[in-house]
Amino acid sequence: MGSAPAQIPTSFGHELRACLRCRLVKTYDQFRDAGCENCPFFKMEEDHERIVEVTTPNFNGIISVMDPSRSWAARWLRIGKFAPGCYTLAVSEPLPEEMQHLCQEERVQYVLPKRM
Amino acid sequence: MSQYSDDDYSHEDDSEMEDEDEEDEYEPRSSRKGRSGKKRGRSNSDSDGRRGSKKKSSGSAFIDWEVEVDDDVEDDDDDVDVEDGKQQLKFGDFSLCFIVSGEADLPNEDSDHRRQYYQRGFHPHEEDVDELEKRTLERLSTKYAKDDYELDDVNDVDQQALLPSVRDPKLWLVKCAIGREREVAVCLMQKIVDRGSEFKIRSAIALDHLQNYVYIEADMEAHVKEAIKGMRNIYANQKILLVPIKEMTAVLSVESKAIDLSRDSWVRMKLGIYKGDLAQVVDVDNVRKRVTVKLIPRIDLQALANKLEGTENVKKKAFAPPPRFMNIDEARELHIRVEHRRDPMTGDYFENIGGMLFKDGFLYKKVSTKSIAAQNVTPTFDELERFKRPNENGEIDFVDESTLFANRKKGHFMKGDAVIVIKGDLKNLKGWIEKVDEENVLIRSEMKDLPNPIAVNGRELCKYFEPGNFVKVVSGIHEGGTGMIVKVDQHMLIILSDTTKEHICVFADHVAKSAEVTKGVTKIGDYELHDLVILSDFSFGVILKLDSEAIQILKGVPDSSEVSIVKASEIKYKIWKKINVQDRYKNVVAVKDVVRVIEGPSKGKQGPVVQIYKGVLFIHDRHNLEHTGFICTRCSSCVLAGGNFKTPALVPPSPRRFQRADMGYNPGAGGRHQGGRGRRGDDHLVGTYVKIRLGPFKGYSGRLVEVKDKLVRVELEAKIVTVERKAISDMTDNVVATPQYNMGSQTPMHPSRTPLHPCMTPMRHSGATPIHDGMRTPMRGRAWNPYMPMSPPRDNWEDGNPGSWGTSPYEAATPGSDWGSSTPGRSSYRDAGTPINNANAPSPMTPSSTSYLPTTPGGQAMTPGTDLDVMSLDIGGDAETRFIPGILVNVHKAGEDRNPGVIRDVLPDGSCVVALGHRGEGETIRATQNKVSLVCPKKNERVKILGGKYCGSTAKVIGEDGQDGIVKLDESLDIKILKLTILAKLVHE
Repeated sequence: MGSAPAQIPTSFGHELRACLRCRLVKTYDQFRDAGCENCPFFKMEEDHERIVEVTTPNFNGIISVMDPSRSWAARWLRIGKFAPGCYTLAVSEPLPEEMQHLCQEERVQYVLPKRM
Repeated sequence: MSQYSDDDYSHEDDSEMEDEDEEDEYEPRSSRKGRSGKKRGRSNSDSDGRRGSKKKSSGSAFIDWEVEVDDDVEDDDDDVDVEDGKQQLKFGDFSLCFIVSGEADLPNEDSDHRRQYYQRGFHPHEEDVDELEKRTLERLSTKYAKDDYELDDVNDVDQQALLPSVRDPKLWLVKCAIGREREVAVCLMQKIVDRGSEFKIRSAIALDHLQNYVYIEADMEAHVKEAIKGMRNIYANQKILLVPIKEMTAVLSVESKAIDLSRDSWVRMKLGIYKGDLAQVVDVDNVRKRVTVKLIPRIDLQALANKLEGTENVKKKAFAPPPRFMNIDEARELHIRVEHRRDPMTGDYFENIGGMLFKDGFLYKKVSTKSIAAQNVTPTFDELERFKRPNENGEIDFVDESTLFANRKKGHFMKGDAVIVIKGDLKNLKGWIEKVDEENVLIRSEMKDLPNPIAVNGRELCKYFEPGNFVKVVSGIHEGGTGMIVKVDQHMLIILSDTTKEHICVFADHVAKSAEVTKGVTKIGDYELHDLVILSDFSFGVILKLDSEAIQILKGVPDSSEVSIVKASEIKYKIWKKINVQDRYKNVVAVKDVVRVIEGPSKGKQGPVVQIYKGVLFIHDRHNLEHTGFICTRCSSCVLAGGNFKTPALVPPSPRRFQRADMGYNPGAGGRHQGGRGRRGDDHLVGTYVKIRLGPFKGYSGRLVEVKDKLVRVELEAKIVTVERKAISDMTDNVVATPQYNMGSQTPMHPSRTPLHPCMTPMRHSGATPIHDGMRTPMRGRAWNPYMPMSPPRDNWEDGNPGSWGTSPYEAATPGSDWGSSTPGRSSYRDAGTPINNANAPSPMTPSSTSYLPTTPGGQAMTPGTDLDVMSLDIGGDAETRFIPGILVNVHKAGEDRNPGVIRDVLPDGSCVVALGHRGEGETIRATQNKVSLVCPKKNERVKILGGKYCGSTAKVIGEDGQDGIVKLDESLDIKILKLTILAKLVHE
């Protein structure tokens, strides 16, 4: 286990939201309190309105990645470099453009979700 | 690599000079280095290669050539070394630093990443080395994962590289409690986090669409078992299944159903009284997963008032009130409290009634995203029309067309389709589809300045049609119907339906060009169009229209023209029986007889009887625009038309009349003599000479000796045989008719139409036979009888399919013919617009020549001695039509077929100078006008208009509809519908 794990969701229902960039799944409250471990530049813990912008309640499937670097599934989903934690397999919405620009400024990659 | 080696070779040749070169170039090169050294790695230019070769020769043989870019970098470094030791050190530090960090933190890192790193790190922008260095160090200090992720350039090829191999961990399928899949995955995560590296599982996957199971990724089954031990919702004793390597990717490739709930999109309600109703999304709240939709309220105001007053208990209503726009004033009248409030979020004002929000009559409702269906919602035209309601300012909310296109099927656009851009910069650009990609469509436009082809998003395109196009509706409620476009309003088309002759509104998106003519759906289950059916309430009616949802029935209530729309299940049964009734004058009326309504609201209408039941007649009058021409009337209000039979008659009845009526109104019915009527008036056939057209006796001719229902007995020259009645044709008639009507040449004009009337051709020939010699009697009666309206066969003409009957007009429209204007009854027939075919018979008394004369009452009956050979009538409806030089005509010469020719001149006496041949290349003759007939223009041919308002103009035929031609005027480009009889084909010159 490389780095410290991200927060583990405290519930399994509708409160769950997924980060639109790294697909980390946590509850709204967790995002509000601690932000996203992989995307600290979103500063969700500081700007709560951003949580709505950069996370979504619409996601599909959950994958708990215990050992990202050695997990094939994590690599396949391209979350192998992120902190261990619960992720979602796919989000359907793109990050708002403004936030995409932020990613660019921060020089982090953002991949648009594939349209099915 | 290869480039390097090439360069190596090329430079080895002059290697001796290199040292010199190096000396010479030193200064300029170093200066260049400082400015644009970073560029080199990217461009791989010649100079790079050269430097590479130099470096190689200067002894850097230790460089691992496997990684070419690394070499490039080192190469740079070396050069820098020469130039500036300090810089070299820094780069060296950097690369060392990177490698160290890479190895320490990223054991799985491959050299590819490193290479990319270098490339990016060194060459992203033109900037100072110091700046670059600063930034690089900065970046290195930040979390590695971020940087690495940045390098992950996701594409399909890369993804392929990630396909699972045998060395990768495996996926194991583990059974868990239903509905606890996510929980299990999360709990496993928690467990591993809490207990550290005790467990060796790598991940746990809970799929939304797979109940009862989770996947656990681990190298061995034992690891999985270990990890799930003691887990509450996992059935540890169940077998753990290994997912085959090939299926591993499928597990993770979930289709993220893109819930495309955007503003203005159309949805349907799934629950409650609004179930199935169309709604438009006004606002989407993704956080709470709720949407605000706008719909037409279904509110029973009275019930609402009662409820609010508390006078009435809230009952569960048995049915939903019909959708109706909220009328606030009405609500106030019922003392319903209406609050006018401003919505704090949107700033719009809403009327609030008992917690419901209304605006402009619409109900604004907040619902869960789950209670609406957004997939495959295609609003019908009517629904959208209803949504178009002016708001307070009197503006009609613009319904964005593109919202309608969200649910297009694949393969919507085809190569060659005409399209128009409806959105964006290229709006209103018309073009043709070249190629259809996933999202984009390549179109070719007429605009010269634009690059061709242009890629346009399919959503910004709409099919484009022009008035006059024949189209088929391919989706929506009118699916299956065909018709001609009469109006194009943006993406809405108004189509004149072939079936109902009514206008239907469809979206351009729902139609495709088609030459086909259908009657729409003509049969659903046991019920067919125009069937007589008994409904569940024991009323009866005739089916006017069938579609998948409802059946339209003209009720059998005389003179009421009540139409009800029922479901197929409401029909009890259909009546097959054909009954005869008596008309006002006790004439027997049977199905297919032509009757005229003499009293009641439908007075004056006439047409063939389609159904008879309980003394009620269903008549089809094609001039009646309502109910697809059907009229329901009492039999006692009708008289049998087509003669004076038992009416206050001036002329004794003729038995032939029935025959006429029968054939005249039944053009497509094949066996015309079916059903009750066949026997009458057949006797006249006996003794005529006929030719057998079908069957084993085809080609034989002989005298008809006996008529038996559908069969006739013919005495051949050799012997008497029995053939089907259909299979004969009158010899004399046939001789004339065949060349005259020239069906063969007409058919290709409307290839799709002809098959619909397959029996047209035989009808003409055989139909003529039974009547010809008997025609005189009714004819004369008719001619004398001013009460007689249009003669039935006229309908026959018009009913006829335009393709196969198209020949008719050109025999017509010959004003100034010998006898035409002297006909007393002629004027009354003008409006009838009956094209008369000129039976070019050798003798006026020949039966066949009169075959079609019922339509020319005046002329024919009055002038028994007239030379029928030259008969032609002005019946154009547009009054006088005159020949004009330059048009193509057919010239009739006695004893010869028609000869095409071109009118060169029209002499004052009406006769024409005609140059024979299609282009007038033949000899020039002079022909009286009655020997000349117009050539019926075909689609896409240029014509000259010979009469009416546009007399003298040229036009192009873009379609035909019965007797009418649809033409586009050359001058104004207007589309006009004109009688074919005044359209003269122009000669191609």
